[in-house]
Amino acid sequence: MRIPFLSIFMTSPFDGLQEHAEKVKEVAWAFQQAMECYVITRCTTFEDLRNEVIELEREADAIKRRIRGHLPKGTLMVVDKFQLFRYLREQDSVLDAVEDALDWISYRPEPGVPEELQQDFFMLVDATIDPIEELARMVSEARKYFGNFSDKQRSVVKDIIRTLRRMEHDADRLEDTLKRKVFALANDPVSVFHLVRLTETIGHIADHAQNAGDMMRAMIAK
Amino acid sequence: MGYETYILVIGYIFGFYMSWNIGANDVANSMASAVGAKAITLKQAVFIAGILNVVGATFLGSHVTDTIRKGIVSTHILTDPNLALIGALSALLASALWVSFATWKSLPVSTTHSIVGAMIGFGIMAGGVSVINWTKLGGVVLSWVISPLFSMMIAYLMLKVIIRFVISAKDSFNQALKLAPFFISLTCFVVVLSFLFKTPLGQNLQLKTHSVVIIAVITTILLGFLGSLLVKHLVKKVNVNRGAEEIFRKIQIGTSCYVALAQGANDVANAIGPLAVIYFLVKTGTVAETIPVPTFLLLFGGVGIACGISMAGYRVMETLGTKITTLTNTRGFSVDFAAATTVLIASKMGLPVSTTHAAVGGVMGVGLARGIEAINFRIVLKIMLYWVLTVPASAITSMAIFWLLKLIV
Repeated sequence: MRIPFLSIFMTSPFDGLQEHAEKVKEVAWAFQQAMECYVITRCTTFEDLRNEVIELEREADAIKRRIRGHLPKGTLMVVDKFQLFRYLREQDSVLDAVEDALDWISYRPEPGVPEELQQDFFMLVDATIDPIEELARMVSEARKYFGNFSDKQRSVVKDIIRTLRRMEHDADRLEDTLKRKVFALANDPVSVFHLVRLTETIGHIADHAQNAGDMMRAMIAK
Repeated sequence: MGYETYILVIGYIFGFYMSWNIGANDVANSMASAVGAKAITLKQAVFIAGILNVVGATFLGSHVTDTIRKGIVSTHILTDPNLALIGALSALLASALWVSFATWKSLPVSTTHSIVGAMIGFGIMAGGVSVINWTKLGGVVLSWVISPLFSMMIAYLMLKVIIRFVISAKDSFNQALKLAPFFISLTCFVVVLSFLFKTPLGQNLQLKTHSVVIIAVITTILLGFLGSLLVKHLVKKVNVNRGAEEIFRKIQIGTSCYVALAQGANDVANAIGPLAVIYFLVKTGTVAETIPVPTFLLLFGGVGIACGISMAGYRVMETLGTKITTLTNTRGFSVDFAAATTVLIASKMGLPVSTTHAAVGGVMGVGLARGIEAINFRIVLKIMLYWVLTVPASAITSMAIFWLLKLIV
């Protein structure tokens, strides 16, 4: 039965945001496995993992569209509607960057990563996974803040944002080192181009995670 | 049995049907925040709403009744008792039918507005457009705009106070426990004041205004402390992790009673106003400027509302708990407090306002205070549309029924 009074209450977009963040986390894990598979030669499951990421990305996209499509004019929220959209876009860009990286690999799966660079690649991947995992926690802590507006809770969220920024910085430094090593090892130009571009794309993942953090900072501004 | 007895019996039936409708239609709106915030269960909601609507109707509900009748439609059309009887009957039936239709079609209408519209329809049929007191009607319409705004303001301020002094505190649980007497007293204050003002009980005590206020203050402070002792007892076993919300969850049991009480006091007049006219006409043959509403009629209306609640309200409320997921107890408390206070004050001032609109206003206020993750503000437009629609719709229905009845009688 429909009750007129109830139409004033609507599904919170933060439910969707949370769900989306959890999807991003799942993608991060699949991405990590795919990267391990790619870096270690003679791994056959790379394409499966890439397809898993594509599937997850599609699901996340549906969530994103659901959030955007269900905020009619006249919706009053704890944050500005467009702040929410901008945040969502950054959180979604994390996914896109992951997909880009895997796509880039799939264009030239052979000959893989030279042994000298493998360790650095693992470190870079780990450095980008960490900020992604923080996103889901950030959303849930921010929701708690919107529940009680306590300064203590606000600083919890701000701490996460600060951590994201630091992590992005770490990932940047790893990216620099890796690129330098790629050029130093230069064998053929195509490999150099492929590896450098791959490094940059992976670096973007952390950039977008940091951007999401910055957007969150704007949302919790007093 | 004479012809008048038949009329009276029919009046009782229509009056009961109208009050049943009020119960079925309005209870979901008034209990929504308590059920939605999981402060009370469905069964408890039905129980509380049923009992306290009767109590509110019987003990607090005598004042509004005559204003609806005499304020909007000039009394000289009532000089013909026959016409007045038919008019009151058609008004009752018309508004009840319109509310039933709205409940069926899920339209956000107000039972109060329906009866006002039906009275206007009868007035126009009986004496032409000139019998409508447009200034009074304007005042009533204005109160429809003001009441949700007022409720919105109270809810906004209340939530801001709660955020500022309770839930943003480091130890919000103990802070809420400490301030519980304040919130409980505040809730009791308006109820106690209403009991003392303009009710048979208050008049028997023959108190002056200032002594009423003093008595109310002392009583409410006492009640506040008693209430907080009760809350302390109730929350002994709960986990502290939920913080202030847990305390407010217990307080909200009290405020949902407050809402039911206010609703009974306010809404009973919608059904009992015309019925009182019929009753008075049948008993005395004339109708005066103001007529006393016998307590048993109020009780009758209250019971009718309670029947509506227990028969149809349960099904309506079942959807509440699943639909409202974003409301927490502090928010629910603010909504309840604002809506009930608005309705009770308006009802004491003799203004026929809608409980539903006061509740909507309360939710808006909480939304404006950024208390709910997302609410749909556009419902205001929809509600306004049905304001504009309800009055003519029930007026026309009432006119048609009046015309039919006149043909028969």
